[in-house]
Amino acid sequence: MTTTQSTATPTTQKLGIATAIAVSFLVLSGLIFSAEDVVQGSTVRMMYVHVPSIWVAYLAFGLTALCSAVYVSNRSRSLIWDRFAGASAEIGVLFVAISLVTGSLWGRLTWGTFWVWDARLTSTAFLFITYIGYLAVRRLGGTFTQRARRSAIMALLAVLEIPLVHFSVNLWRTLHQKASIADPNAKVQLDGFMLFTLFWGLVSFSMLFAWLLIHRQRLMALEDAVQDQGLDRAIQERRTEAGR
Amino acid sequence: MDLTPRPVTDAESRAQNRRRRWAPMIIVALALVAGGVVVSQFLTSAIDYYCNVDEVGVRDGCVGQRRIRVQGIVVENSLKQTNGVTEFSLVFQDKTLRVQYQGDPGGVFQECIPVVAHGRVVDGVFDSDRIEVKHTNQYVEKNKTRFEATKETAACSQLPG
Repeated sequence: MTTTQSTATPTTQKLGIATAIAVSFLVLSGLIFSAEDVVQGSTVRMMYVHVPSIWVAYLAFGLTALCSAVYVSNRSRSLIWDRFAGASAEIGVLFVAISLVTGSLWGRLTWGTFWVWDARLTSTAFLFITYIGYLAVRRLGGTFTQRARRSAIMALLAVLEIPLVHFSVNLWRTLHQKASIADPNAKVQLDGFMLFTLFWGLVSFSMLFAWLLIHRQRLMALEDAVQDQGLDRAIQERRTEAGR
Repeated sequence: MDLTPRPVTDAESRAQNRRRRWAPMIIVALALVAGGVVVSQFLTSAIDYYCNVDEVGVRDGCVGQRRIRVQGIVVENSLKQTNGVTEFSLVFQDKTLRVQYQGDPGGVFQECIPVVAHGRVVDGVFDSDRIEVKHTNQYVEKNKTRFEATKETAACSQLPG
């Protein structure tokens, strides 16, 4: 008889429903309620996906580093921190990819080109590749502890790229525009409902991240348990052989 | 109890194990190569100096007929498009530069918008073969403008002063 285990709990189900509602409202707000930009027209609506995506990616990679730091510094070496780090990085990679694709399409419509090798775009592409490498390093084999240790070190180094990506528009002359809401002079550069829609995008994408993270971490725990069961079964077989 | 690893006899399991072992190593190698390509592309593109209009002919790297990138704002009423050639003036810190480009720049190109032009200065005119529109970080709702600006001049209504 096979048993099935779900990664859902009543709390995550509620979070899932709330996320679905929040994302639905974002779609309505982004496509219908918010006005066009005076220069970009409807193209500006790309912003409501592009900016929240990179925000979630920063959040995810930051959390990966935080969980890795907790794993390394905590004597108990609890693997839950490693699994949260891995799950968070996977979601981060997904959202950087979304940000790169939407940014490229937005760039074609506003700049007139899909891609330029400017500091912001290049550093974001580099961030994406770094975390693909991180995910590959997690799958290099060995014990769970070996996996956790080597990926924690890599995560703590990789997170240093985030300030470089974010401040690249201030450090270099770039085609990419400077920050509109995280401006160093703290001057908001978005008209009323555009700002609200962008803020709503950040909230709903963060909720989506939380929902995905919980489920992915639980799935990883189940995967590790399956791997452990395989090992237990092999040891049991050897014990049986030895007893004969 | 004998704990020495047992050889996998099943051919399919052996192939699966091999794939499982090699796939992450290949991805790590590909990531390293891709990272190298990205950095080298960035450095190659950085060979063309990035100059503001006021630096052309003044700043080191922005002088002579070498290939450069020039950044400035398209001057209002300077845009002309005739026989597939786009001509306009760029301004930055009160210095202007006449630009000539074969074709339609694309994007949201219009007067009063910041652009980056790639090319070289020939007889005082910037001969460009690539134009990139540099959108500002200001977003203004269309219906909030005091007058109904046409698409072509919408950026002019955003200029300070």
